[in-house]
Amino acid sequence: MTSQVETNSNIVKRLGQKIGPENLLSWATPRPKRIFLSVHKGKLIEAVTFLTEEGFVHLSAITGLESEDGLEVIYHLGKGGLLVSLKVVVSIGHPSLPTITSIFPGAALYEREAHELLGLVFSGHPGLIPLVLPDEWPEGIYPLRKKWTQEEIRKKLLRET
Amino acid sequence: MPSTIKIPFGPQHPALKEPESFLFEVDGEYVVDVVPRIGYAHRGIEKALESRTYIQNLYLIERICGICSHAHTTCYTQAVEEALKVDVPSRARYIRTIVAELERIHNHYLWLGLLAHEIGFDTLFMYTWRDREIVMDLLERISGNRVQYAMNIIGGVRRDITPEVSSEITKGIEVLSERMKYYKKVCSDEKTMLARTTNVGVLKAKDAVSLCAVGPTLRASSVKRDVRADDPYAAYDEIPFQVVTNDGCDLASRVATRCDEVVESVGIIQYALDHMPKGSIEVIVSRVIPSDEVVSRVEAPRGENLHYLRSNETDKPARYKIRAPTLANLSALCKMLIGGYIADIPAVIAGIDPCFCCMDRLTFIDVNSDKTWNWKCDELRRHAIKWHKEQ
Repeated sequence: MTSQVETNSNIVKRLGQKIGPENLLSWATPRPKRIFLSVHKGKLIEAVTFLTEEGFVHLSAITGLESEDGLEVIYHLGKGGLLVSLKVVVSIGHPSLPTITSIFPGAALYEREAHELLGLVFSGHPGLIPLVLPDEWPEGIYPLRKKWTQEEIRKKLLRET
Repeated sequence: MPSTIKIPFGPQHPALKEPESFLFEVDGEYVVDVVPRIGYAHRGIEKALESRTYIQNLYLIERICGICSHAHTTCYTQAVEEALKVDVPSRARYIRTIVAELERIHNHYLWLGLLAHEIGFDTLFMYTWRDREIVMDLLERISGNRVQYAMNIIGGVRRDITPEVSSEITKGIEVLSERMKYYKKVCSDEKTMLARTTNVGVLKAKDAVSLCAVGPTLRASSVKRDVRADDPYAAYDEIPFQVVTNDGCDLASRVATRCDEVVESVGIIQYALDHMPKGSIEVIVSRVIPSDEVVSRVEAPRGENLHYLRSNETDKPARYKIRAPTLANLSALCKMLIGGYIADIPAVIAGIDPCFCCMDRLTFIDVNSDKTWNWKCDELRRHAIKWHKEQ
């Protein structure tokens, strides 16, 4: 009987074969029910398609965050208790990546949220319109970007009104 | 030229006293399309978490939701403990489980009452909310609070469960289990209840999965997925229980699922009380969290709750992401509403047990005449009850 960790590394190995090993940037499985993967952003759709074929049919969430590398977008995909966190990195200057709504229609809301809060642009999305911020929210303020501190946002909002 | 009339009728909402907005496109009595707009209760918690310490954040996380506060802090403390590589004492894990299941019972009783109210069955509403007092009293006895129990701390729990409290819980949950079995019988026998729930708000298993639904909403569409069983946390790996599913895929099936879950929760609590290990209830932990990334999941009463932590060797998180179950169920809700009657909107929305946070507005567009009008919550509810009486 193969252990869960071995199964996990087999999944990652097969993914590497599918998208090309040079596009699989890093991976780790810190505990049996978790896999953290990082792939080249051009291979996002291929990687998500591969994982759905492997049985990861539950899109649990999409996390966006800003780090030293740029903007990271992490797709949390579940298969039973096993959760893959698939990461792609885009640059702050050009924060664009393809939508996965054709694979998961339910991703539409998650992508809208990430678009609003971090300024990520999901090309091909059926409607990247505001979801959680107020209608009168000024354009160009992405509250989860590090340069927008709470004080900065407050100052900007006070100037607007 | 089509004349468009807009009648603003206050920012209020259809099913619960909470703020979200749905733009309905209707053709006669049928709903053709739905566009949700949320965020009326968006408080910027994720941003606020980045500027506070892990200890301060515990208080903020507790206040994400009024009902499932324990689910959120369990998810949060688990994430931080995993980053710290700390094992929580067994007794604390059992206490977390007991409070989590009491919270689930509280939530499901509250929900059944609200649904009953939406379909005009106020007797059931009164009964369930009366019985809900029992579980709230138990939670107060354990934690000192009727809501926002604040039981979780990083490294364990804040209070122990004494043998006296334990026997009070046993007495209380026995009543709750019996009552819920009776309500389930009522819901599956009573003609008006059946007429308002059977084949209403249908969500097929395939759609439920592709639209990312979670929790009882998903399980009522016959998909067996429950974080407690699939990815066990707290003490769920040591406690036997069944994952309740139903293959009706409609509102009646959502009612049955939640009723059975309460009975299952009672079993979990009793088992946990009987097998509670002895020992300490907390460990002392560092205030600085090493660099790591952790994904933590719990099964909140409304469904899977996911938190993501990125720590950077300081006492504040670099990023903390929260995905609460209602956002996951929102796309599925829109699917349920399309093709249904206007009069079923309140019950179907209540059916996913939404948790936004305070008042809202409904706009209707008649596709034939382009006429637009707004209804507030009570008006829609009255329309629904009247319309069903006339049928």
